[in-house]
Amino acid sequence: MPGILRPTIEKEILLLKRDPRVLVRLIVMPVAFIALFGMAFKGQERRAKELHPVIVFRDLAASRGVAIVEALKGSGMFNVVEAKNAEEVRAKVEKEDFDVGVVIDHDFDPLGGRPAHLVIDKNGPQQKTQPLIGSISAIATRAFVGGPPPPKVVDIVDPTDPAHAQEQASPFQLTVPGNAVLFGFFIALTCALGFAEERRSGTWRRLLAAPVPAWKLLVAKLVPYVALGMIQVGTLFAIGVFAFGMKIQGSVIALAVLTFAVACAATACGLMIASFSSTEKQISSLGSVLILIMGLVGGCMFPRMLMPHVMQQIGLGVPHGWALDGYYTLLVRSGAGFADVMPQIGAVFGFAALFALIGLRRFRFDT
Amino acid sequence: MSEHVLALKGLGKDYGARKAVDAIDLDVKRGEIFGLLGPNGAGKTTTISMACGVVAPTRGRAAVDGHDIVDDKFAARRAIGLVPQDLALYDELSPRQNLTFFAQLYGLAGTELASRVDWAIGVAGLADRAGDLVKTFSGGMKRRLNLACGMIHKPTLLVCDEPTVGVDPQSRRHIFDSIKRLRDDGMTVLYTSHYMEEVEELCDRVAIMDAGKIVACGSIAELTTAHGGGGIEVEVGGDDAIVEAAARAAGATRAGSLLHLDPRDTWAPAITAIEGAGATIKRLGARRADLETVFLALTGRGLRDS
Repeated sequence: MPGILRPTIEKEILLLKRDPRVLVRLIVMPVAFIALFGMAFKGQERRAKELHPVIVFRDLAASRGVAIVEALKGSGMFNVVEAKNAEEVRAKVEKEDFDVGVVIDHDFDPLGGRPAHLVIDKNGPQQKTQPLIGSISAIATRAFVGGPPPPKVVDIVDPTDPAHAQEQASPFQLTVPGNAVLFGFFIALTCALGFAEERRSGTWRRLLAAPVPAWKLLVAKLVPYVALGMIQVGTLFAIGVFAFGMKIQGSVIALAVLTFAVACAATACGLMIASFSSTEKQISSLGSVLILIMGLVGGCMFPRMLMPHVMQQIGLGVPHGWALDGYYTLLVRSGAGFADVMPQIGAVFGFAALFALIGLRRFRFDT
Repeated sequence: MSEHVLALKGLGKDYGARKAVDAIDLDVKRGEIFGLLGPNGAGKTTTISMACGVVAPTRGRAAVDGHDIVDDKFAARRAIGLVPQDLALYDELSPRQNLTFFAQLYGLAGTELASRVDWAIGVAGLADRAGDLVKTFSGGMKRRLNLACGMIHKPTLLVCDEPTVGVDPQSRRHIFDSIKRLRDDGMTVLYTSHYMEEVEELCDRVAIMDAGKIVACGSIAELTTAHGGGGIEVEVGGDDAIVEAAARAAGATRAGSLLHLDPRDTWAPAITAIEGAGATIKRLGARRADLETVFLALTGRGLRDS
C-alpha cells in the first residue's frame, strides 16, 4: 500500500504556506491581541501599585483636622493633594479628576455633631467606592480618637501549601495562554475549510479513487493541522517569553504535551465542524461562533477565576477551560511538572477523542 | 488476462427510495474507447463513481481488469484512472507538484516518479508552464492537466467524465489526440460526454443510459441502424405556408424545406399528400441518421434539468 502520509503532509504544508490568510489568522492576529491585552493589563497592574489620589481641604480654623490629614498622608495608601477650598474638592471629584475628596470645615467638631465630609460618587462601582469609604473613615476616626496603636484584631492566613507557592501572575502569563488557546482553536476552522475546499474542487473524489484506505486519507489530512497547531501555540509562547518577558515557572516538557493535546482537540474540532457543514459559508459561520463561544466560556478572553462560580464550572465543559488551568499552573507555579497538570492534559485529550468520535460518525467519505 | 477491462453485472445504486442506477450490465473491451452517453441525471456519473470505488454500490458487482471493486478494491483502483468532470486540481500548486502528489498516491517514487511526471507534463503540453501555479492557467490548460493527473500512473482503464467541458477548440483537439494516443498505446478508455460529435469521432462503441438503465449499446453503426430510424427525406419547393401544409398533410417533421417521413409509415401516400398540398418535390432520398438522432430517439426530447 502506498505511503501517503508524507506526500499529503508536504502537499498540505505547501498549500498552507501559499495562503497568507492562514498566517494572519494563526500568528499575526493572536500576537496583536497578546500585545494589546498585555499592555492593558499592565496599565491596570501599574495603577493598582500606585497610591490612590485623594483631594483634601482643611480650613485653617479646623485645627483638630490636622491629625486626620497627617494620618491620611502617613497611611501609605493615599497620595494626598491639598485643595484651596471646599468648592475645589467638590468640583474635582465631580469632574472625576479624583475618585474621592475630604472636606474639613472651619466648624469641624465630630463630638458636636459636625463631622468632616467625604465627597464621593455614591453611585459609582461598589468595588471602588466601598474600600475608599471604609479605609478613609477608619483612618480619620482613629486619627481623631488618638491614643496608642490598637492590638491586631484580624490576622491574614494564606491557605496555599508553601511547597506550591506561586508568584503573582504577570499580565502576559494571563494573556499569552488565553490568546494561544483561543487562536489555537482557529486551526479547527482552517482544517474544516480544507475539507470543504477538497470537496468543492473535486480533489477529494480523486483521492477517494486512489488505492488508499479512507481512514488513511483522513489521518494524512489531519496530521499537518496538529503539527501546525503545535507550531502556532509554540510560536505564541516563544513570543510571550522573548518579546514580552513572560516567565515559564514549571516544566517545559509538560507544556509541550499540553500543547499537543490542545492541537489534537482543535484539529478534531475541525473534523467535527466539517462533518456538520457542507459548504465553506456554513463552516465559516458555524465554526467561528463555536470557537468564540468556547473561548469565551473557557476563559480565553476573561479569566475564569474572575467569573462567578457557576460560570467557572461551565468553563470546564469546554477544552479551553482545562487547557488554561494547565497553562496557568505551568507558567505561574514554580516547579510545576507533568503530574500537576495530568488531569488537565487528560481532559483535553478526552475532548479531542469526543470531537473526533462525533466527527467520524457524521463524516461523509463519499462525495 | 480478461477480455473485458470493465465488467458490470447487475450494478445498481439507490439513494433512499430513488434508484440512481438500476441494475446495469456492461462490458468494456480491452483497448477500446467506450462512450457512455445519457441526459443529465441518467446515472452516468454514479456508474463511473461505483466503478472507481468512490461510491459503494447497493447491488451487483463490478470488476476492473479482473479485480472486484469490493473484494479486491485496491487492485481495482490501481487499474483505473479517474479524470473527473470537476477540475480536481490544487490551484495553489504547480502542475509538477499536482502530478507528483497524485502519482505518489499510486506508489510511484524516485526516478520512476520523476520520469512519469515529465511524461505526463509532455502529454498535457505544459512543459513550459510546469512550475507555474495552476491558478494562473486558462480553462483549457487546466483540463489538459486534469487529464494528465488521471493517467499519471498509466492505468489499464482511464475513465474520462466529460473531459472537454468549457475548453477552446485547440485544447479539445489536444485532449482528443492524447486520448487516441493512449488507446493506441494499449490503454482502455471509458468516455462520457454531452457532445455527440466527440463520441462519434472517438468511440469504438457506445452505451446510452437513461433513468439509470442502459437503453442501447453497440457500435455507432449498429446504433444508427437499429435506432436511427432512417426513413425518407424529401426536399420540397413552395412558399412557407405550402411547405407547412405539405408537412401536415404528409404527417412529416419539418426542418426548413426538408420533410422527414417516419420509416414506419407507407411513404407513397405521403408523397401524394405533399403534392396534393401544392408543394413540388425537388429531391427525395434516404435519410442519414446520426448519433444525436439515436440519442433523442431513445431518450426523448423532454428537458432534463436534474
